[in-house]
Amino acid sequence: MRLVKDTHRLDWSLIGIVLLLTFIGLAMVYSATAHDPGPWYKSFWFRQGLHFAIGIVLIVGILISKPRFWYNIAYPFFGLTVLSLMFVLFVGGEESHGAGRWIGFGFFHVQPSEFAKIGYLLVLSRYLSGAKVSLERPLSFVIPGILFAVPFLLVLKQPNLSTALVFSATTLVCFYWGGLRLPDLFLLLTPVFSVIAAMNQIAWGALMGSVLLVLWKRKLPMYISVAILALNIGAGFASYMVWNTVLEEHQRSRILTFVDPMRDPKGAGYQVIQSEVTIGSGGLIGKGFGSGSQTNLAFLPEEHTDFIFAVLGEQFGFVGCAIVLLLFFLLVMRAVSICQVHGHPFITTMVVGSSTILIFHVVVNVAMALGMAPVTGLPLPFLSYGGSFVMTTMILVGFLLLLRLKGEEI
Amino acid sequence: MSHKFSDPQEQQDRGLKGLVLLTATGLAFLILLVRLGWLQVMKYDENLRLSESNRIRRIVIKAERGYIYDRNGIPLVRNRPSYQIALMPYQLKTPDSVFNRLLRIRDTSGARVIDSASLAWTFQRARWQKFRPLRIIEDASDAQVAFIEERLEDFPGIITLVESRRDYPFGTMASHVFGYTGEISEKQVEESYYVDAGYSFGDRIGQKGVEKQYELDFRGKNGVKYVEVNAYGKEIGIIPEMEHEPASPGNHLVTTLDMDLQAVAEAAFPDSIKGGLVVLNPQNGEILAMVSSPRLDPNIFSLEKRELAKEWASVALDSTQPLNNRAIMGTYPPGSVFKFITAASALEYGFITEDSKYPAPCTGGFRFGSRYQKCWSPKGHGKMNVVDALRESCDVFFYQCGLDQNMEPINEVGRRFGLGMALGVDIPGEKAGLLMDSVTYNKRFKRLNWKWSRGQILNLAIGQGELVTPLQIAAYFGAMATNTGLYRPHVMKEIRDQEGKLIRRYEPTVISKKGLKSENWHILLNAMEEVISAPHGTGAAARVPGIRVGGKTGSAENPQGDKTHGWFVGVAPLEHPTICVALVMENAGHGGSVAGPVAGKVLRHYFKTDSLEMAKAKQLQDTLTQPAGD
Repeated sequence: MRLVKDTHRLDWSLIGIVLLLTFIGLAMVYSATAHDPGPWYKSFWFRQGLHFAIGIVLIVGILISKPRFWYNIAYPFFGLTVLSLMFVLFVGGEESHGAGRWIGFGFFHVQPSEFAKIGYLLVLSRYLSGAKVSLERPLSFVIPGILFAVPFLLVLKQPNLSTALVFSATTLVCFYWGGLRLPDLFLLLTPVFSVIAAMNQIAWGALMGSVLLVLWKRKLPMYISVAILALNIGAGFASYMVWNTVLEEHQRSRILTFVDPMRDPKGAGYQVIQSEVTIGSGGLIGKGFGSGSQTNLAFLPEEHTDFIFAVLGEQFGFVGCAIVLLLFFLLVMRAVSICQVHGHPFITTMVVGSSTILIFHVVVNVAMALGMAPVTGLPLPFLSYGGSFVMTTMILVGFLLLLRLKGEEI
Repeated sequence: MSHKFSDPQEQQDRGLKGLVLLTATGLAFLILLVRLGWLQVMKYDENLRLSESNRIRRIVIKAERGYIYDRNGIPLVRNRPSYQIALMPYQLKTPDSVFNRLLRIRDTSGARVIDSASLAWTFQRARWQKFRPLRIIEDASDAQVAFIEERLEDFPGIITLVESRRDYPFGTMASHVFGYTGEISEKQVEESYYVDAGYSFGDRIGQKGVEKQYELDFRGKNGVKYVEVNAYGKEIGIIPEMEHEPASPGNHLVTTLDMDLQAVAEAAFPDSIKGGLVVLNPQNGEILAMVSSPRLDPNIFSLEKRELAKEWASVALDSTQPLNNRAIMGTYPPGSVFKFITAASALEYGFITEDSKYPAPCTGGFRFGSRYQKCWSPKGHGKMNVVDALRESCDVFFYQCGLDQNMEPINEVGRRFGLGMALGVDIPGEKAGLLMDSVTYNKRFKRLNWKWSRGQILNLAIGQGELVTPLQIAAYFGAMATNTGLYRPHVMKEIRDQEGKLIRRYEPTVISKKGLKSENWHILLNAMEEVISAPHGTGAAARVPGIRVGGKTGSAENPQGDKTHGWFVGVAPLEHPTICVALVMENAGHGGSVAGPVAGKVLRHYFKTDSLEMAKAKQLQDTLTQPAGD
């Protein structure tokens, strides 16, 4: 059997890291929800265990397949995920916390936006393995731009801003990997920065200055430079107008609160304050497993999903948090090293994209728990409770294992 | 499409880009670690103090559940505060001394307030349920609460809680209509109905009756407040910077029940007899009174789980099934009450006219094939027309009337008046009953290998073999008397908010518009009146002086008991019926002699006080609509 023969190239250290994180995650979900009533087989930790078990089956399935297979089904798979996104949006899925994001199959539910992450990763990798994107040839952005815009807008409409941001991050990093230079990446992003910076004239002025500087250094064709400048000025002006004339006071306030939760200490800010106190009270080594008073007293909302990092921080302190972050870093290191073993652009883009999805979740989620980022609801891989997201995570791990194992068979 | 490392430039490029990505990740993590260090090392003391003292506590203020009123504004179900003295295990630092101090509390007569065995058990549980309050005294008295509140420092870990509980000023009256509230079950918490409405574990919801039906109206909206608490868990004060969201109480349900009439019906229906009673207004379907016997004390559902389990077991395992609302859930053979259906269909489908008489006279029985089927009267009734046969309730007339028609026309008319179907009353759990024909019969008794034969018609024509609820009988008879259509019975009159403002009103709905031809209707009205007012009328017990009352008695044979189920249905005034009473008394004997008097009391009360009640109702209605003066 192929699988057995190739065992020596199975990435056992990656598997070890994943198992360690999974175990920590189960323990955290257990301690976050231990005070919920109900029998054990309905408990969150048990169901989370089931999710991981299913995830392991998925990984084995992926390991039996070949990278070529994923290369071939990239477009159909992507099409399917887009259709399911349209289904929840227009036909109507089930609602959780007021947003229709789910498709129910009787006993279990799936979140199409989770699988759209996989579909988009496949299709982006396949496209970029055959074509390079460059700011010198604006037309090279048309097809990847469409591939990006369709799922991006669909999840944005749900509304699921956090997943839309995952698409954006994946796109940018993969563009960089696929040939876009760092200054060009910056230029590509400047219209978005302009929208934000337009609130403050000095900030916007500084931004324009740096845009001009980079444009002068880059020596792009004239029409492209002009277009970028025009885009920046247009975006900044439109943003300024919308902010000051179109938006009502309460709408402005909602946006500001999203960016800075502390403005609203009873709503979003309450979660963040509680999260910070919970983490901070863990100290250097934490209060010990099962002794989190904040967690157990349910001061912390959404503790088993979005704020699971706070549960970790309270019980295992700085040391525990640092170890988990280190494990994540080792995971990316193992992943990126695949690119030194296999050189096919589909393989390497898949690796980079998978890593980006995982790390983006980690950074945004932890930053949110620490009060450094808006509360967007991105879960923490391996630790947060949630069926669909565990599947996504495990599929990504499956890809990383497969690509190292059979990367030359493309 | 093999891709070898032919291009060292590209490989180097990949290495460089990989390094950039790793560096970016590392940088991001470093920033997170710095922030972690700030919170967990530099600000550790402050955060620990905040978490230890739990300075900010978010407290959900439970919304007050809406009340239930009768049609005249009399409160039937209210809320009362209930105090609990409880143990908060994680705050319990010195279990032994607290335990002993608690045991030392004695009331004025010197008896221990707290049972030592159950207290020991509570302290046991406290070891593994660290963060949930465990009740020590359920529904504590004011004196007990004051005693504990004054000595909180002596009892670290003991707290007092206040909850709102349902209060029933009229005791068991109409309790089956109200139903009860209870903690949401594990099954319910996953049902989409409750999930969508935002319910979660620990919520109390309506579990039966109108409490369940109008749960979303009653519940209101919970509020939130932020309080500062000390190490003993006692509230020091609210935190003004934090915005508070007050709870908005639920809406009130104004029922169609008339509590005076209900009281008369309850008094007339003995608790020792099982059965159900319904009083409704056939003009619009409003249910004026509803009794199910044996009665159920709704107060037991307010008890704590452990206590409740005891009471619950005694109620749920009771062979008389007091939990069932027999008025809508009890299905019984209708007996002779059904004869108006048999007669109506014979008239409607032209099998008989007002004067038709069947060839075989009643000699106290009827020969059909090889069997001899008795009439209830051994003396026999001779030859009769339909009005006489209904008045005397002659079985032999209806045996022939049924055989003449077969079941199809009879059942069609039965369905016109709501038999064999759930009427959609706004109390959960209503039963549909059963109409029987050859197809239904063969299907139902397939297991027993019984086959339909025409002989079955004899029984079905006199109401043995169908199943009906008291509600269906009231609705059917009322609709037949008005002939303006069958209205959906309901107990909701209005939903009003806390200020008394009308939220919505129950619009009367017609289930079936199809009545009887005018001439047939008049024949049957005449027969209804004869039953009550004729010298031999079986329903004489329900006469009301000065009022034209119509009715029918019934005595349904049941396989279980030796005595028959006694039925009575009465409707009045026949010129323009506004009240219809139907009741069944299980194993109580003849309808005319046991059930008739009960209906008589209800009817006589209704008409004696009618005008007076109207004036009173108007007055009370007005006070309810005005904002309370607080």
